[in-house]
Formats: sequence, structure tokens, C-alpha cells
Amino acid sequence: MKMKSVVKLGVVGAASAFLLAACGNSSKESTSKYINWQESAGLNTLDASKLTDSESMVMVGNSNEGLLLNGPNNTIKPGVAESYKVSKDGKTYTFNLRHSKWSNGKPVTAKDFVYGWQRTVNPKTASQYSYLLDHVKNATEISAGKAPVSSLGVKAEGDYKLVVTLNRPQSYFKYIVAMAACYPQDKATVEKYGSAYATNSKAMLYNGPFKVEGWNGTNDTWTLVKNKDYYNASKVKVAGIKFSVQKDANTALNQYETGQLDETTLVGQQQVGKYKSSSELHNVKQASTFYLEMNEKADSYFKNANIRKALSLVIDRDQFTKDTLGDGSTSAQGLVSPGMSQYKGVDFTKAAGTKTGVSYNVSEAKKLWAKGLKEVGKKSINFTLLADDTPQGKSTTEYLQTAFANLPGLKVSSLNVPYKTRLSRSQNGQFDMVVSGWYADFPDPISFMSLLTSDGSYNNGKWSNAKYDELVKNAEGSDSNNVAKRWDDLVNAEKILMNDQGVIPLYHKVQPNVIKPRVSGVQFFPTGLSTDFRDATISKK
Amino acid sequence: MVKFLAKRVFYLLLTLFIVVTVTFFLMKLMPGTPLTNEAKLSPAERYMVLKQYGLDKPVWQQYISYLVNAVHGNFGTSFQFSDQPVSYLISSRMGPSLLLGAQAMVVGVIAGIIVGAIGAIKKSTWVDTSTTIISILGISIPSFVFSVLLQYVIALKWGLLPIAGWSGFAYTILPTLALAAMPLAESARFVRTEMVDVLSSDYIELARAKGLSKFGIIYHHALRNSLIPLVTIIGPLAVNIMTGSLVVENIFAIPGIGEQFVNSVLTNDYPTIMGLTVMYCFLLCVVLLITDIVYGIIDPRIRVAGGRE
Repeated sequence: MKMKSVVKLGVVGAASAFLLAACGNSSKESTSKYINWQESAGLNTLDASKLTDSESMVMVGNSNEGLLLNGPNNTIKPGVAESYKVSKDGKTYTFNLRHSKWSNGKPVTAKDFVYGWQRTVNPKTASQYSYLLDHVKNATEISAGKAPVSSLGVKAEGDYKLVVTLNRPQSYFKYIVAMAACYPQDKATVEKYGSAYATNSKAMLYNGPFKVEGWNGTNDTWTLVKNKDYYNASKVKVAGIKFSVQKDANTALNQYETGQLDETTLVGQQQVGKYKSSSELHNVKQASTFYLEMNEKADSYFKNANIRKALSLVIDRDQFTKDTLGDGSTSAQGLVSPGMSQYKGVDFTKAAGTKTGVSYNVSEAKKLWAKGLKEVGKKSINFTLLADDTPQGKSTTEYLQTAFANLPGLKVSSLNVPYKTRLSRSQNGQFDMVVSGWYADFPDPISFMSLLTSDGSYNNGKWSNAKYDELVKNAEGSDSNNVAKRWDDLVNAEKILMNDQGVIPLYHKVQPNVIKPRVSGVQFFPTGLSTDFRDATISKK
Repeated sequence: MVKFLAKRVFYLLLTLFIVVTVTFFLMKLMPGTPLTNEAKLSPAERYMVLKQYGLDKPVWQQYISYLVNAVHGNFGTSFQFSDQPVSYLISSRMGPSLLLGAQAMVVGVIAGIIVGAIGAIKKSTWVDTSTTIISILGISIPSFVFSVLLQYVIALKWGLLPIAGWSGFAYTILPTLALAAMPLAESARFVRTEMVDVLSSDYIELARAKGLSKFGIIYHHALRNSLIPLVTIIGPLAVNIMTGSLVVENIFAIPGIGEQFVNSVLTNDYPTIMGLTVMYCFLLCVVLLITDIVYGIIDPRIRVAGGRE
């Protein structure tokens, strides 16, 4: 899960925003051959096996390349692998690698992939993304320290052929192959730098369209410079991208407007409102859903479906996203965010769409509420709503408190805490109701659906449904190689979840940003590599 | 003097030890782990990661190994910046904060002395009132408001200086001014109060009676003596400012240490929190020690180790 760190200084930003209300839009543009890009947090690492945040992912993903690449609309394009074949049982993948080079001129071979994958699952690496490879033969045993690293089901046959063996078929495996955890890594470089590997831009080799330069490990500016050794270097049109960390959203927008930045993310309703009708505004969809979990273990009244449904029905999601959040985020369609996956041209959220889980109807809510209270034998209910202390988290609790006031006998107090505290309280069951968020790792509904199985480690509310568990298990197991059956399993599981209101979906996050018209071709993906500069161009004046 | 120094160094070490101990155990009480991706790891995988960081051992063992390493100057590696030694993290981000802090102290204290002295000389006139207002504003306006104002007016509207960033002297001017507000106000208040006192003392009367020039009296007799108490506040103030300001560093995009501290608390980056705490504490203790010594040198009435017990 990635968490873009735009939140840290939002409080200060919001408080000082009023001073900038009258800020003029001078809209100057730079003439540099480089794209000037804003980052809202520093770079943590360039290590493909260890990165966990989206900033590091963007740098590693643009300076390195795996076997496959993300394409538009959840497609997959060839990367270092020119082609690949999947065996009939879906358990063996054979990748044919093109001839390509590292930034030191050494050829990129299948052995570099074997080494990279082994390094990700090696318990000594302590990668927090090793679970992505759980379907690969012996991966789980290796990361638990019970099998030797060399037993991993990935083998090099010669220099340019890689064979991967899975324990069980995984229909979305191609998306995982495109992730950083599966990038090639040069053994000699890793061993040469030891613990300093990838902690600065020099202690690293690159095989992607760009190289990272000028990052000393802790500084706030660095550059992605075109990599001449990249096999497709002739297609890379820009000299590079200069990044600078701006944590203060107002400062960043000032720099954007005076032409020092070509791009910046917008924070809050006011900044977004200013660019509402501008062609420079880009609403970047993120495969994410924010939803309410109710602690059925601590508060037995949440076991009552009528109570859960009533709480959902009083939420006017359209008004909430439009007027309260106002940052382009969209009303929740269900647990799975839209645009994740299609079958026969139908989007998952359409196929699994139910009106019950996400609609707004106060009178119906009041009826169900009264019924629910009777069933649990209570006249009134008090609970605390837990959420992040970000501007967005605070807006959410404020709105929900107002919405819940529609239900007679319900008293809700709110508690906003830092992100890690919220996570920890959620995991330990120290909450009544919590605003949870999930960013999908790869574009498949299972990334969301697996959250809420009875034994799901992120199922904090402990909602449980045997039929749901079975459907998700089938999708991952017996039906995983059968597209139609698997699709039905997941669609039906989502329907069960919504009809029973296992969670209360709120919104899908959108990241608004502005980009100068001189820059084009930057691609945004809702999962994996969020920003791809491979095809970026700068128009000449 | 040697005896005094030995005693003070002993106290310094004792203070450091207590601060490290308290911080260590308070930190263990903080909710959450340094894992950013805890949710999806299986218990076995989670254990392996924690083991890498040495977090699988009992707390007392972690404490002891931390103390042993700290004595050797090893503060561990950051959890947030993977594999980055904390000592490097601190040293590489300390520079900008130190430079800005030093500039702000020089500007702030000199301006503060001038403002304070003028206030005292023109006591109970409109000049005095306005200098008082300046110092009250300096203390009460939050630095983020002042920073944003400076940035908006001087950098954005007039275009005189860069909006933010860190690549040359021009980039340091606005954050220096923003940071200087507090030392300016503090020292102006001190100097004014002291100087009003001094100006009404007998030896000033004597100097006047001897027919010394007004400037001579103020510069040689009044001002010098009024500055002594300032020494006591300058030390701690300097440590405070030089260790970085979260807000100013963020608004002007300074790659400094202040923001790093807050960030490491929010991300449960234990080694960085500890490293920074130890460094702050050490700096403060040393500065206080120096203050005490300097105080004795400039004011003969106070001797650190008096002849008599």
C-alpha cells in the first residue's frame, strides 16, 4: 500500500491558505529542456526490493525496467521481455528477454532477474513487499526462513530466457511481474556497495529510460537524466526531469505559477477550485477506496445488518465528495474502485454494482435504524469514529458526524490521530468505527476483495461471511485459471459484501495536479508505477 | 576551574543518559511499528522484517544494545530511509539548519539590541511604544504567518527573491528573516528592561556629571552592562533556532533537520528520533556550559568556582 505524503503539513498549509487567497495567476512557463516536477516527500530509497512509498517507486520505475511494463487501461506492454508464454495450467511463465544493457554497459541477463527476485524474497533483505511473490514456488517458505533462497521457482535458461514456476495459477501475475519487486538487479553492484547499495544515486545501476543523478541519500533535489544505454533511448524525448521536494502546497503552487515548476499537486478545495476549469488540471485517478469499518467484536450492535445499513444510507456520497472534499474524489461505487478490471467490456463496478450498499435515503435509513435498535434491544448508541488527522480525515469525520445526526438516539464523537497510530489502533481492534483506506497494489479486484475475508489481516472490523470467504478462495484457487468463473466469483463476493453492508464505502481518491501545457505525454497509472516519464515531451516555443 | 569543569561534564553525561533512557522507553510506548506495509505481510514475514531491525528481542536487550552502540557513536540505521545510517542522515541535513540558524541569530540579536536600546533611551515616548509593539509582534506572530507573508510579498508579488529552494545565498534571505523575528523580539525585550535599569543607576549619573558625551555613556557604560543578561538567553535560543524549524523549513523548502524530526516521529523511525534527541540534548548541555563559563568571564561578580566555599 502506498501513502503519498501530501498530508504532513496540510494543517499548516490550510491555516496559511487564507493569506494566499488573492494570489494571482500569472502562469509563466519555463523554457528549460528539463521538466521541473514537484515531489511532496523526499526520496527514501532506490532499492527495488525495499521501496514502499510511491515517490521511490516513481524514481526506481523510471530508471529501471522489469520484464513487463504498465500500459494504459490496465494493459501490459513488453519491457525487457520481448515476449512471454504461459503454460496451459497457468503455472509456468517463460519470458524471452531482449538484448539490453545496464548503465555501465554490462548486458542485462536472465540471471539479473533471478538475482533480483531472490533478493526480494530473501529474509535478509527484509522486503515489505515480499508477499507479492507469494504465488511463486517456494517464495513463502524462503521469506519465512524455512527454505534456501536458491529454491525459488525462477530459473535462467541461458542469458535471455527466464522460466518462472508458480505454486498455483495467478491470473494477475503479469501485473506483479511489472512491479519493482521483480526488477532485475546486478549482483556485482549489490555486493560492491553492501549496505550502502541504492542509498544514493551513485551506488546503483540503471537499465531504464533514465538514470538518477544528484541524490546524496537525504537531499531534496535530484534529477532523472536520460540513459543513453537504454535499449529504447531513441524514443526518450526529454533530456530529463528535475525533482524538488516542496512539502508546503502553497509554496509549490507559487513556484508553479511563476514558472519554476512545470507540475505540482493541488491540496485542498481552494487550490482545486482555482484551477477547476483550467486545461492544466489533471485529475489522476488512484485505485483506492476509503471506507468505514465497524468493530463487530468490540461493539456487538454492529453485528446487526440493519444498523450497518442505516449508517450507510444517511451518507450522501455525492454531496460529501463534491462539497466537503472538493478535490475531485468520486463517490464510492463499492469496495472495488472503478476502472480496475473489465470483462467483456463491462467494468467490475458496473457488473457488481448494487444500489443497496452505497445509496442515500434518509427515510429508509431511519426505518432500518429503528428496526435495528429494537433487534439489539437498545434505545441509543454512542460510539467513537476514528480517522487520520489529515485535512481529508478531518473533513470526513466532520461530515459523517453531521450525517449520522439524522439517526435518533445516535451519538458519535470523533478521534483524529496520525496515520501510523490509526493503523495500529485498527489492527489491535481499539476502535468502534474507523475510516480505512486501501490503495490497490495491482489492477485486479482481488487486491480489494482479499482484505475482507474472515481471516484477512486487514479485516479490522471482523465482518465475516462464509459464502464471501468461499467465493474469494475459489477466485484465488480452483477458479483462478478460468476467467469467466473467477469473474463471477468476485462479482458475487462484492455483491454479498454490499448487500450485507460489511463495510461502508465512502469515496475513491483522486489526486488533482496541474501541469504546464508545454509538457505532454506523462502517463499516470492508478496502480504500480504511478507516473511514467518514458513518453514525455516538451513542446518547443 | 578544572574541578568545576569535571563536575559539569559529569552532569552532562548524566543528563544525556537520563534523556536517552526516558526517550527510549517513551518511544516504545508509541503505537505502531516502523513497517509501512504491515497489513499484508504474513506473521512469519513480519517477524523476519522485525528481526532485521532487532525489534524481535525483549525491550531491555534492545535498550542495552542501543546504549552500547550509542557510546560508540553508532545510532543505527533509519527505518524510513532504508539502510541510511542515522549519523549520516543527521550530518547531511544539519548544514542548512545550522547556517540559517546562525544567520538568523546574528541578524535577530543585533537588530534586537538596537531596537531594545532605542526603546530604553526614548523611554515612555512613542518610540518606546513602537519598539515594544515590534517585540510583542515578533513573539506573538506565528512563524508560518510571517514566512508566508514574506514569501507572498517579497518573492511572489515583487519578485525580488526566490520563492523557495536551496541553491545559494539569495535563497537564505527570506527564511533567515522569518527565523530572526523571534530572537529579535526576545533580545529587544531583555535589552530594554536591563537598559532602563542601568540608565537609572548611580554610575550613569556619575558619568553624566563628569560631562561624558551621550553616545559615550550609552555605548561604553549602559549598553555593555545591559548585555550581560542577554548571554543567558542567547545560548538556549541559538540551539532552539539552529536545530531547525519545521514550519519555516517546509514553507521555504529547506533541506534541513527540523522537518526530519517531526517526520521521524510520525513514521515511528525510532533510530532517527533517538539520534536527534541525543544530539539536541548534547548541544543544549554544551551551550549551557559555555554560557556559564562566558558569564563568569564577562561579569566579574559571578565566578564559576569562587575562592570561598
